[in-house]
Amino acid sequence: MHPSLEAFALAAGLLALGAALVHRFGFPPLPVYLLTGLVVGERLHVEDLEPLPSLGLLLLLFSVGLEFGPDRLRELSGKALRAGFFDALALPLGFLLGLLAGLDLRGALLLAGVIYISSSAVIVKLIIDLRRAANPESEVVLGVLVLEDLVIALLLALLGVQGPVGFLGGVALVLAYFLFARFLGPRLVRFMEGLSDELVLLLGAAFTAGTALLFHAVGASEGVGAFLSGVIAAGLGLRERLEHLFGPVRDLGVALFFLVVGAEALGLLRGLTPWAVGLVLLGLLLKLPLNHLGGARAGLGRKRRLYSALYLVPRGEFNLVLGALALGQGYPLVAQVAVLLVLVSIPLGALLIRFAPEIAQALYPEEHPKKRAKRAEESPVE
Amino acid sequence: MKVEEVVLPGVGRKYTVTVKSGDRIVIVVHHSGKRELQYFEAGEEDEPTVALDLTDEEARELGAILAGVLFHPEAVGDTRSKLGAKVIEWVKILPGSKLVGKRVGDLALPPGAHLLAVDRPGAPLIPHPGPDVVLEVGDTLVVAGSREAVEALKRSF
Repeated sequence: MHPSLEAFALAAGLLALGAALVHRFGFPPLPVYLLTGLVVGERLHVEDLEPLPSLGLLLLLFSVGLEFGPDRLRELSGKALRAGFFDALALPLGFLLGLLAGLDLRGALLLAGVIYISSSAVIVKLIIDLRRAANPESEVVLGVLVLEDLVIALLLALLGVQGPVGFLGGVALVLAYFLFARFLGPRLVRFMEGLSDELVLLLGAAFTAGTALLFHAVGASEGVGAFLSGVIAAGLGLRERLEHLFGPVRDLGVALFFLVVGAEALGLLRGLTPWAVGLVLLGLLLKLPLNHLGGARAGLGRKRRLYSALYLVPRGEFNLVLGALALGQGYPLVAQVAVLLVLVSIPLGALLIRFAPEIAQALYPEEHPKKRAKRAEESPVE
Repeated sequence: MKVEEVVLPGVGRKYTVTVKSGDRIVIVVHHSGKRELQYFEAGEEDEPTVALDLTDEEARELGAILAGVLFHPEAVGDTRSKLGAKVIEWVKILPGSKLVGKRVGDLALPPGAHLLAVDRPGAPLIPHPGPDVVLEVGDTLVVAGSREAVEALKRSF
């Protein structure tokens, strides 16, 4: 028997148990995957689970590219763009914070990215699971996430490479892909329409993995490669089909990925300094007022502003990509901050989003009773 | 009616339908096929009065009902049923109508139009109203006759 069978059975069982536990309380399962990893930690042989978790991350980035690609920018409303602008102020502030923490320019930029980027994947899942999609603030938050993902993909393309050769190689690759989509795309789409779902699934997998590999080969980040292949696939009009086909595979991979992140975090966090903890707290606090202000500029009501700021707390996939990059380039402090932010912000963010109505009620208590009184006045007339 | 469409990346599409009264219905169509419905009263921005989740199948059924596939009223707009060329119509007396305070006996009904009943809120139906019945605001007159006569009667209100 292959050792991965035992690890997989154990991991899937634990994840299912955790998800079932929180499901009873109407709570989204994602934070539980992380916490399960933290608890099980070194007793689980996570390396036996490979390559599922690594592929899970690539597929996650692929579907983020699929859904949050730059072609969405055209469909965004002005209010989301205004909110996104205030949100982006976290970048210069994070950069400053990095310089103050004694990092050099590259390290400070990495830290800025870590603080700036919220997790589209986690937030979308929370919004759907908690049935908030129809709310006005969700539109603004999702628009902000489109901008964030675009900015961070550019930042990663810039920082992911060492030296000018890698950078030029990355830029050339991106250009080649866009030209490919532009000129061969329409013909390819017609061809794909006649193919079976299974074939499209396999081709999509080959395309994503191949692009990631190609990016890695030129010294760029494979995460950016996966993100870009999602963007290209969306540009080819394959969004709905691939989303539908990849959804279940990706969800399994992502669950295992977050389990592994939790399990491996222990090792990384052992050398934790107060500096890192302080930066994590500052990072969490920094974005709240910015997004609150952005929500106000987007024309949201007082409560909805607060909601939108709370929604953007969770950090996730791109933080882990940035963290891995920082570790590889010799910035263990940034990597610690990145991973710790994910560990703290996902459960915390999930709680904040879940209880956002209660928090708003506690902060602005006068709003509801007034409304009830108004309704009560109206009803006898009817 | 005003319909706004917004893309919700990662979720689906959101439609905001504002009807004449100012009430709004927000419909989110998820990638998964699920539909989320929220109803907002006119002037209410933040809190939906009701929310409803529908599966893809339920949403299609509901859509068919709304589109009138299963049952299509003969005339959309006024309550009216057809009796061949004759019609029966329910006509409500609104505040400011000339008919308020008039006796049924004094009504100048166009030839061919007949008053079948007066439906007064909170009171039993008055069938074959006698000439002494005085009309009030809120009454609904049940009128029958040829289409022309009934239309003429409605215009005289």
